Amino acid sequence: MGQQIVNGLFLGSIYALFALGYTLVFGVLDILNLAHQAVFMLCAYVALLLVGSLHLHMFAAFPLAVLAGGLLGIVVDRVAFKPLRGRSDSNISGLISSIALATILEAVGLQLFGPDVERFPLGTVPDRGIQIGGAVVSEIQVVIIAIALLVMGALTFLLQRTRLGRRIRAVAESPLAARILGVNVDRIIAAAFFLSSALGAAAGVLFGLAFNNVAPDMGRAVELKGLAVIILGGMGSMPGAAVAGFALGLLEVFTVAKLGSSYRDAIAFGVLFLVLVVRPHGLFGKAALREA
Amino acid sequence: MNSEALRDLWLTYQSTVAFIGLNGLLALSVYTTLACGQLSLGQAGFMALGAYTSTILTLHAHLPFPVVLAAGTLAPALLAVPLALPVLRLKGVFLAIATIGFGEVVRIFFVNLDYTNGALGLVAIPQRTRLWTIYAALAGALFVLWRIRGSRTGYALEAIREDEPAARTMGIHADAYKLAMMVLGAAFAGLAGALDAHFNFIVVPSSYSFARVVEMLVFAVVGGTAVFYGPVVGAAFLTLLPEVLREVGSRVGMQPGPLRLFVNGLVLLLVILFLPDGLASLPRRIRRRLEARRAAAHAP
Amino acid sequence: MRFAGRLTLVAASFLFAAPQARAETVKIGAAFSLTGNAAAYGAQQKAGVLLAAEEVNKSGMLPGITLEVVVEDDGTNPQQGIAVFDRFINRDKVSAIIGPTLSTLAEAADPRAQEQKTPVVAVSNTKPNAITTIGDYIWRVSLTEAQVIPSATRAARAKLGFKTAGLLYGNDDAFTKAGFDVMKSALEKEGVQILGIQTFATKDRDFNAQLTALKGLKPDVLFVSALVEQAGSIAVQARQLGYTGPMLGGNGFNSTKFIQLAGPAAEGVLVGTAWNRASQDPLNQKFIAAMKARGTDPDQFAAQAYTGVLVVAEAVKQAGMKGGRDDVKAGLAKVKDLPTPLGAFSFLPNRDGDHAAAVQVVKGGKFEILQ
Repeated sequence: MGQQIVNGLFLGSIYALFALGYTLVFGVLDILNLAHQAVFMLCAYVALLLVGSLHLHMFAAFPLAVLAGGLLGIVVDRVAFKPLRGRSDSNISGLISSIALATILEAVGLQLFGPDVERFPLGTVPDRGIQIGGAVVSEIQVVIIAIALLVMGALTFLLQRTRLGRRIRAVAESPLAARILGVNVDRIIAAAFFLSSALGAAAGVLFGLAFNNVAPDMGRAVELKGLAVIILGGMGSMPGAAVAGFALGLLEVFTVAKLGSSYRDAIAFGVLFLVLVVRPHGLFGKAALREA
Repeated sequence: MNSEALRDLWLTYQSTVAFIGLNGLLALSVYTTLACGQLSLGQAGFMALGAYTSTILTLHAHLPFPVVLAAGTLAPALLAVPLALPVLRLKGVFLAIATIGFGEVVRIFFVNLDYTNGALGLVAIPQRTRLWTIYAALAGALFVLWRIRGSRTGYALEAIREDEPAARTMGIHADAYKLAMMVLGAAFAGLAGALDAHFNFIVVPSSYSFARVVEMLVFAVVGGTAVFYGPVVGAAFLTLLPEVLREVGSRVGMQPGPLRLFVNGLVLLLVILFLPDGLASLPRRIRRRLEARRAAAHAP
Repeated sequence: MRFAGRLTLVAASFLFAAPQARAETVKIGAAFSLTGNAAAYGAQQKAGVLLAAEEVNKSGMLPGITLEVVVEDDGTNPQQGIAVFDRFINRDKVSAIIGPTLSTLAEAADPRAQEQKTPVVAVSNTKPNAITTIGDYIWRVSLTEAQVIPSATRAARAKLGFKTAGLLYGNDDAFTKAGFDVMKSALEKEGVQILGIQTFATKDRDFNAQLTALKGLKPDVLFVSALVEQAGSIAVQARQLGYTGPMLGGNGFNSTKFIQLAGPAAEGVLVGTAWNRASQDPLNQKFIAAMKARGTDPDQFAAQAYTGVLVVAEAVKQAGMKGGRDDVKAGLAKVKDLPTPLGAFSFLPNRDGDHAAAVQVVKGGKFEILQ
């Protein structure tokens, strides 16, 4: 039982990191960035290349891959979202534009790396088990949960205690007001994308490490779960994304154990649907969701 | 080319022609809801329902083809009502997410349904669909949309799309129209699903994934959602392009899979950024550009 | 000096060209998964058929006939597989099709070939009571799970003496699901108690929940029916979670890729196999050597694909050196005790394959026959 809880938290921490990236951009721009999963995937490959071909240690590869993700995020903003900023239907067109960019990035990944699953070289991933009470947890699970929590902590600090964080929150509240107050909205949006994609990249590398499985379609698997997480947590709410991420991870693991693997995805969407119909702003969200 | 070679060419590429027709119908199913400003991404689920319903009736009840087609069209249409009602009032992106969720739930439902062999799906379906069936269905759908376009319903839809609160104030029953369009979209998708199942011999849940509905959306947007035939243009263009590019791709060293994705993505990006009304609006734009140039040339 | 050399070359080309001037080409279409989830098997199969075609042409077994094998990728995707079959049948006008790699695709694409009266020789479809049931143009070289797993289970039980088992299988692939059915009935027949059954989807990467649940029931052995990618992950994750007991895998494990993926976790895993690589039969040894010379350490999939071409060639021979589709079909029915790397091969009356099977264990990073 304890082991299943660890399994759930472990899966949930990756969901949480991924969803945090989603929700950050949504909070600031009111747009869903569906290219997020492509960054997730590509940065897992970056880490793979750094470790596999350049023989860097994971400790070096991880921050580098995260950095790459952040930079890629800025590219995503410049290419897919910025040109549409003035348009009236920018929510939907932004969504579509991000889908387009995601498709392109996925194609690039497929062409560069081939469709087959890649693995980290043997030895990259610690494969020992650790005894905790009656449960045996794998070392990699503990490491990933720890890293995820650390990243979340750093993010919270950044958003609550730094000037950049304050500016991001200001723009999220009201871009117009922020601009009047002298904030360079464009640059802040870029910063938000940097952070968001860095989170996605972190999630990607950890996911790749967790299951030692990197493939061009790995983003798809998590993308829709990510949606369920942010809906459950409340769009635009960071604590919501974190809590909902862990919750979904636990929910999934116990569903698989009791009902079978086929229902794993059903749980995520069942929850999503339920939340949208019953309590659309999720656990922590406050966005206006309905038409007048 | 002699007739033998032509016949062979035809046999090889009839799949492509068929897919253009089917993709056109699917693109229209996404378009119906876009026409009143809603982004509904659950069409893969409706397509699956149409495919499975019609296939089960063919394989187990041995009903004639027109009957199963009708069933495949009606079943999802009826199911669209209880789906649409709770989500009608959701704003843009939330509606999109809710419908994505619905599509996935349908897929997972079929993955777990032992009666239909779960994830393995149904196979050895007799091929009843002919090319003319597909194009007749497509023509029918286009006809319906064409009639709607010029009518009062059409104007109501446009009003809702432009500014829903204002439309409501003017007395338009936005909810009823949105529901109707969702049902219509579901019907189109279901019909396409039924036709596809009886053309490709198999029905597997994995065909009805989120990636599938994204593809439909791409067709619709690339073709253009300002006119009712736009999505078909987009479907034809994007179905043909990878076939045409297959030769080019192999010369450049790009695999057909990534090439198709890349082209889809690139075309969609270029369209959304620079040609938001889609390819179907190109002739109009070019004409206007030429007229402007002519007017400028004649200006004193 | 140089002119003489060129003259010799021209003369030589005439000498060698002469007998070929009348050669008829018999085209075989090979549809394999070169990309996608089954790509590990497809790569081996491709190498196998190309080597076989080369050797048949060189051996003079079919005088006046050149075998040409066209290999295309089915992408482990049913739609793509159907398209490839269409092209083989209508555009390339092949005399026979070998493949596709997975039973799931075969069930989708083979009906097309049956309808168009084109023989199909399945070389890796192992779903029992299927494939050949599609029609009389569909033949099978690969032994079904029902022909391999029961004897593997018996041998494993004799060696390890397990009384309880846990089962894990992929429920969205025709082959892995069929493999599970056979495993379950084989275990029941051996009187082994099944403590728990878990499933996964082919796209899954995370098996921790299922493995934890099964491990908690404390089975003596774990039976797994999976394709190679998932097999590798399952083995690794099972060991990571602290499961130390034995594992027995179905045909999906039968690839060197499995050992590559699982690393040390592959040690001790048992797998039933249709190809006894330790067989000292000279044909088998020659096959292994020839494959290795071409840079591929062959596995069962290569051996079966190679055999597939041999069988088609034999069919052409039996049909009186005729390479039409119906000739091949008639010839296949006459194949009997054909020497192949798999052993002496014949077809059963239902067109399934028939030859002896074996059990392997992974030792020292290699497959070894279980003694």
